[in-house]
Amino acid sequence: MNNALRRLVGLVLLAGSLVLGAGTAQAHPHVWITAMSELIYASDGSITGVRHAWTFDDMYSTFALQGIESKIKGAYTREEFSPLAQTNVESLQEFGFFTFARADGKRQNFEQPVDYFLDYKDTMLTLHFTLPLKAPVKSKQLVVQVYDPEFFIDFKFADDDPVALVSAPAGCQMQFLRPNDGAANAQKLGEGNFANGDNSNFGALFANKIMVECP
Amino acid sequence: MAASVLAVVLVLDAAAHDLMAQSAFGGPRPDSQVGGIVGWLLSRQSEFYRQMSATIRAARSDGTAVWTLLAISFAYGIFHAAGPGHGKAVISSYLVANQETARRGIALSFASALMQSLVAVAIVAVCAWLLNATAKTMCGAEKAIEIASYGLIAAFGARLVWTKGGGFIGALQTPGAVAATHSHDHGHDHDHGHGQDHHHDHVHDELCGHSHGPEPAELAGPRGWQRGLSAILTVGIRPCSGAILVLVFALAQGLFWAGIAATFVMGLGTAITVAIIAVVAVSARDLARRLSAARDGGGALVMRRIEFAAAGLVLLFGLGLLLGYLAAERATCL
Repeated sequence: MNNALRRLVGLVLLAGSLVLGAGTAQAHPHVWITAMSELIYASDGSITGVRHAWTFDDMYSTFALQGIESKIKGAYTREEFSPLAQTNVESLQEFGFFTFARADGKRQNFEQPVDYFLDYKDTMLTLHFTLPLKAPVKSKQLVVQVYDPEFFIDFKFADDDPVALVSAPAGCQMQFLRPNDGAANAQKLGEGNFANGDNSNFGALFANKIMVECP
Repeated sequence: MAASVLAVVLVLDAAAHDLMAQSAFGGPRPDSQVGGIVGWLLSRQSEFYRQMSATIRAARSDGTAVWTLLAISFAYGIFHAAGPGHGKAVISSYLVANQETARRGIALSFASALMQSLVAVAIVAVCAWLLNATAKTMCGAEKAIEIASYGLIAAFGARLVWTKGGGFIGALQTPGAVAATHSHDHGHDHDHGHGQDHHHDHVHDELCGHSHGPEPAELAGPRGWQRGLSAILTVGIRPCSGAILVLVFALAQGLFWAGIAATFVMGLGTAITVAIIAVVAVSARDLARRLSAARDGGGALVMRRIEFAAAGLVLLFGLGLLLGYLAAERATCL
């Protein structure tokens, strides 16, 4: 009898975990973005924002172009794109622009994007935008992560020149970690310093991490 | 049995990865690469999905590429549904709560997948093909349907809880004899709605000691499809974001028909996986019934409890999705 009961408990647990497992958002990506990012510094050595250039994959680019009119077929001017670019940056706000910054462990917030526009080349759409920090910050350690917590979008940084520092103070060291670079490198810079619960999610496993240490 | 073992491993694997993800920023970080079965499923899906755009492009000049597209879509469908998702959770819970047969589970899986494909094709045909609407408009339509579908799941769950709650309370009150009312209870839940308490005592005497489960004929009765239809609607109304992307892409390449074919083949693959999971759920419930039947009289109470819990899960699931506590695959809006 006990045995039967035990098995029943097991079954109930199975049923529960089936549904719970279904509840956690472990989507697979539907959109692929090839990213290039720049960290912008002011003359006093504080970081003022992040400038992104995100190139969408073939399929998503085509999807986004659906219904967009252009004078010349297959070629679009920046003006023809401006409503779409507007839609893009507005939608991105809901997701925190997929950009998560911490200065000395403290979370930094971003303002609305500025200087945003789209261009279209080789059937791929690229969204350019600059995210100003709410308050420019000077910090010894800066971590900027780019990822989609739900992993609906797979962010991959460009093979060449994925990240650049723009007018950063001399002596600042930048390290860029791709999601598959493993834990070894991350440990070196003291992962514990950036420990915080609210980043704990599935997509974080696929995070791209930019780390800057300044004297 | 092998299938159920696979299902258990899958779920445990997913759970383990969730836990690991949780600790990722707290303690020592596990390797960033997602391994295990879930990781493997994810990478397979991504591969198949990414091959689709190239294959559709190729099909413009080479007709045989369409066959490749269909093969990829089928594989994608199978893998896509093997990952966690709300559709199969709702179907499985419904089957457990409502004492449905495995055969009906399979039929429901296929019907809801077919409906999902139809909705995806309808959205793209109307929005993109007929109206030449923008992605923003399509995404708006997707989001509206999404909310409607979560509402439907919650309503569906609430109805299950209501009807199952009656059986559960009945079982609590008369622990010795409820097994006998089993079949009766069930039939009336659906035919007369909330009137079951009234009929309960009445037939209890008549049927005492007769059957332990619903008669197969009763389940497959004329009301059967009506009941199943709400399950199909609930699960099938929400299209897969991936299908919509593929359809729009195919339309832009002048191969809308290939996109439609791919969508239905994708649905076929999805249906196969969901059907397997549904059969596992039904088998687990039947096993529980057999095990609990050995207990003196209390077995029915155990079964009522399981059914009630499954009904509750559907409701919680709908509410969780509706209120944003649970995240499902999101609509393609950027």
